[in-house]
Amino acid sequence: MSWIWRGLRPILESVLAGLIGLGVGALIMWAWGYRPWPAYVALFKESFGSGYGLASALANATPLILTALTFAAGARAGLFIIGAEGMMYMGAMAAVALSLFQLPSGFHAFVALLCAAAAGILWGFIPAVLRAYRGVHEVISTIMFNWLSHFLSFYLVANVLVDPIRAEKTLSIVKTSRLPLLIRGTDLSLGIVVAAGLALLFYVFFWHTVAGYEVRAAGANPYAARYGGVSPQRTVLLVFALGGAAAGLAGAVEVMGRPPTYAVYSGLTNLSGFGFDGIGVAMIGRIHPLGIIPAAIFYGGLQAGARLMQMEAGVPFEMVRAVQGVIVLALALPELTRIFKVFFRSIQRKGART
Amino acid sequence: MNWAYFWSLFSISLHAMVPITLTAVGEVIGETAGLFNIGLEGILLISAFTGTLGARAGGPVLGLLVGFLTGLGVGVIFGIICAYWKGSQMIAGVGINLFALGFVAFGLQVLGSPGFYTVPRNVQLPPIRTSVGSFSPVIPLALLLPFLIHWVLNHTRVGLRIKAVGENPEAADVAGIPVELTQLLSTAVGAALAGLAGAYMSVSWLGSVTKELSAGRGFIALATVVFSGLRPLLALAGGLIFGFFESLATWIQSLPGVKEAVPWQFISMIPYVATLLVVAGVIGRVRFPKALGVPYRRE
Amino acid sequence: MAEFLLRAEGLTKVYPDGTVALSGVDLTVRPGEVLGLLGENGAGKTTLTKILSGLLPPTSGRLLSPRGQVRFHSPKDALKLGIGMVHQHFALVDTFTALENVALGLGRVNLSSLRKKLEKLVEETGLHVPLDVPVENLAVGERQRVEILKVLARDVEILILDEPTSVLTPVETAELFKFLRNLRDQGKAVIFITHKLKEALAVTDRIVVLRRGKVAGEVKTADTTAGELARLMIGVEIEPGHRPVELALEGEPKRAEAGGPKGEAVLAVKALKVRSDTGELAVRDLSFELYPGEILGIAGVEGNGQTELVEAICGLRRVEAGSVELLGRNVTNHPPTELYRLGLGHIPEDRWKYGVILSFTVAENSILGLQRERGFSAAGFLRAWAVRRHAARLVQEFSIQTAGLSAPVKSLSGGNQQKLIVGRELSKDPKVIIAAQPTRGLDIGAAQFIRDLLLRLREEGRAILLVSADLDEVLALSDRVAFMYEGTFTGVARPTELTAETIGLLMGGVKAGSG
Repeated sequence: MSWIWRGLRPILESVLAGLIGLGVGALIMWAWGYRPWPAYVALFKESFGSGYGLASALANATPLILTALTFAAGARAGLFIIGAEGMMYMGAMAAVALSLFQLPSGFHAFVALLCAAAAGILWGFIPAVLRAYRGVHEVISTIMFNWLSHFLSFYLVANVLVDPIRAEKTLSIVKTSRLPLLIRGTDLSLGIVVAAGLALLFYVFFWHTVAGYEVRAAGANPYAARYGGVSPQRTVLLVFALGGAAAGLAGAVEVMGRPPTYAVYSGLTNLSGFGFDGIGVAMIGRIHPLGIIPAAIFYGGLQAGARLMQMEAGVPFEMVRAVQGVIVLALALPELTRIFKVFFRSIQRKGART
Repeated sequence: MNWAYFWSLFSISLHAMVPITLTAVGEVIGETAGLFNIGLEGILLISAFTGTLGARAGGPVLGLLVGFLTGLGVGVIFGIICAYWKGSQMIAGVGINLFALGFVAFGLQVLGSPGFYTVPRNVQLPPIRTSVGSFSPVIPLALLLPFLIHWVLNHTRVGLRIKAVGENPEAADVAGIPVELTQLLSTAVGAALAGLAGAYMSVSWLGSVTKELSAGRGFIALATVVFSGLRPLLALAGGLIFGFFESLATWIQSLPGVKEAVPWQFISMIPYVATLLVVAGVIGRVRFPKALGVPYRRE
Repeated sequence: MAEFLLRAEGLTKVYPDGTVALSGVDLTVRPGEVLGLLGENGAGKTTLTKILSGLLPPTSGRLLSPRGQVRFHSPKDALKLGIGMVHQHFALVDTFTALENVALGLGRVNLSSLRKKLEKLVEETGLHVPLDVPVENLAVGERQRVEILKVLARDVEILILDEPTSVLTPVETAELFKFLRNLRDQGKAVIFITHKLKEALAVTDRIVVLRRGKVAGEVKTADTTAGELARLMIGVEIEPGHRPVELALEGEPKRAEAGGPKGEAVLAVKALKVRSDTGELAVRDLSFELYPGEILGIAGVEGNGQTELVEAICGLRRVEAGSVELLGRNVTNHPPTELYRLGLGHIPEDRWKYGVILSFTVAENSILGLQRERGFSAAGFLRAWAVRRHAARLVQEFSIQTAGLSAPVKSLSGGNQQKLIVGRELSKDPKVIIAAQPTRGLDIGAAQFIRDLLLRLREEGRAILLVSADLDEVLALSDRVAFMYEGTFTGVARPTELTAETIGLLMGGVKAGSG
């Protein structure tokens, strides 16, 4: 029976952390003079209470699943890859660049996705090599590359890929390269299938292949992994490649699947933040590909509902990201559930004594 | 050579050095005690914002103080989660960063200027005006603090204890040193310095608050800590080097013909490339406390 | 004279996961006495002393000083009462000097007066050690002296030593015993923890035997016999000829009948040079050969390069110069999996570092190193069913107690983890087995199982390199014994040819044939 508890416990911990996050968020709202309850009602009503809201939640979840996979892949190998943001921009740039060419419909989108994945992989290559062969901590190198990507993308968006008619955005993705919408009138495109599909692929890779076994071993105990014949350098390169591909795809699906503009805005406003949000989603999903999907939908729903929360309750929508931060902080605690058990038991004991 | 121009570049270097040096030298204390805080970026951001609030309420010095205390508060929370409750330091750090992004953007919206807020001139910290240029009063503090911290860590009893806790917490525990408390105080002081740095950025230097104000400086500070090998004086050197690169970027842009030939975006990349090169070149030659990042448990 | 210095009544310790480490233990510590705490690995000795020294709180029971009940919230409280502990794995800060380590936690202390006090202490006790060298550059024996000085500098009344002889040569052990008797004569109390019967008989005045967390008996050393102690330790009678190493007396155990090595060398190490993590040469120009059907034992106190030697042979550490040949093929610096395929089995000395992945399941650990073999992988995919079948076979063949194949390995006891590792290595059908500290930390039952297994493997014609810091174990099992000191062999001989004197010299670094 213990294995049921073992499987259930991470889910419980995420739920608990979620509640803590929402609780602290309520505190902050209340401190600034807002009313938390109507805000949360608006938040959840919009995202999970309507068909359109649900579709929006899924659409928002799409890039989050992918960037979360980037972090999760790294984490499973014992690495802290927080470069999804930068890799994602490169993927988006690649996708837009592909629209400069002409290819048959459908196939065009496929090639664009491939190129975006490749762009992501390429962007992670140097940090990977630096870590594998020079021991440079990936936190520092990937953040630096995020900023390099930030500026490079600014340049590309303003000068190379700019839309000649409307300078505040890039060229739009041509029709042949767009991802078809799944539900008319919503933002939900085939991208969600790509994202969920990749998540499933990652699951199969990590738990049912030899290479995945070796990567997990290296993450759990690098010494024992070496004893088991796993090359640490190869592990680093492999995991960066997986993560880079996922992040590159995140950038691509965001441009190729978002009506009505299908483009990147100057200042990267319609892309920025997904890389970091992905980290939070990965943690809420316990860095497991199958857990990431519901975690991304949860967060995507929060994002979808945040706009309504701002309109109806006046609470700025960025509160949602602050809540996410607190959730992650709560998840930093080991064995969250045990702390609560101890806490409640001590209250019981105190009560019994009086 | 245009001396006025040279001094203005020198001034930029010094101003840019401050947040890096303060944050880095603070993190040196924390890492010496064994805690690795990647939430520095978030602390910079949050305290840039709260520092502004403090300045609006009671003047620039209060603003700096509020920033310092904000950092201290976040540091205490981080210390409790990681030192006492044995939480994961990496995850907690990421949580702080995420929270900061949301909280500051939220706060800016509440203040009524979403995205970008200009700190009113009258609550900015007045600079010291000399014949060669104006300098923030925080600069001398940032220049002297590393020396003080170097002395504390290497020549006092307190420093011995901090080093012991980071190197072999069990030995420290057995010797009667309160391990968790030492770690908490070390990381809190470090975070407080980062808080001061953040408030400095909004109240004394850049005069604005945006979601991207910290611009990766928290991570550059971490790189500086690596470069310094946990030696405070080298952290100062690292901060000066980074400050130099930031002024270099400005100088390059002013060279005739450069602005037309090289887009500003590429110039902006210089500090980040420099950081990468420094870290890549130096790694492997530094030695960190054996128990860095590992929560101590009495078994 | 005071009746007692410290008394424990009814001490019980239950860990959060439910294991009962101690149950109703009573203990009295008297001044001017060496009290032995004897018990096999896992009996609860370390837990008891951690409670006495303030590192752990008891679940129930109480501690009494002559002034009344005391409660320790941290080691500091115990130190205030005059209780100091010398840990088995020293509580020293490697980068500090001896002086700094002693100064740690002493509060307001003038370093120059501390230095004078230390120098006087060194003279009085004979524990010579340089005071201004970073402790990590000292030899293991010297480091233990720093650890002891650190405790003595606190003016303790009760000195607890946890398995102190595990890092000492026989000569150093004798010196330590002399030192402990001096302390006793000065009126201090010494608690001496060991799992070796003959040590308890050699140095103590009174012995408390722990078994499975309970006090099995308390005897005066002068009045007891080895047989009685052995019976108290493990609860059954053992015939003299079949005593396991832990229960053997001086002069025992019987040196194993020499099996003859036959044939070509299966492992040849030539002029090997290997560096340690700190960059120093740990293995200096070492050469030896291992033959099928023999057990070659490498004796020596830890820290003389054995760890690095084993890692280098098994592909886990870079060989700087020299060569390693396995079954005639040069395998220097080749990856571990290639060595396994050629017929090497490695039982690592640090099972949690190299041997198992604690968070992985029993099934997943059973194929560590074998995951790419054709039996377990197909087109890149893991054949889950084949893995489980393999794991089930190991569990059955080696009687591994586990909740199931999907249980995380960290839920297994040390002995069962070791059995899993040994089983896995043997499933590779190795011709050469490197067994490094294979019985460390195991209770007598598990340890005997492994020793008998090694002897059986020798009978089957395999070659075994046994590295062990337990001199008695090496002498009992090996056909030839090599003594390792500072990276080289001081001598290689058959156990039957060795006298206590020769052993002492060889372990102390005096090369055979000199002097």
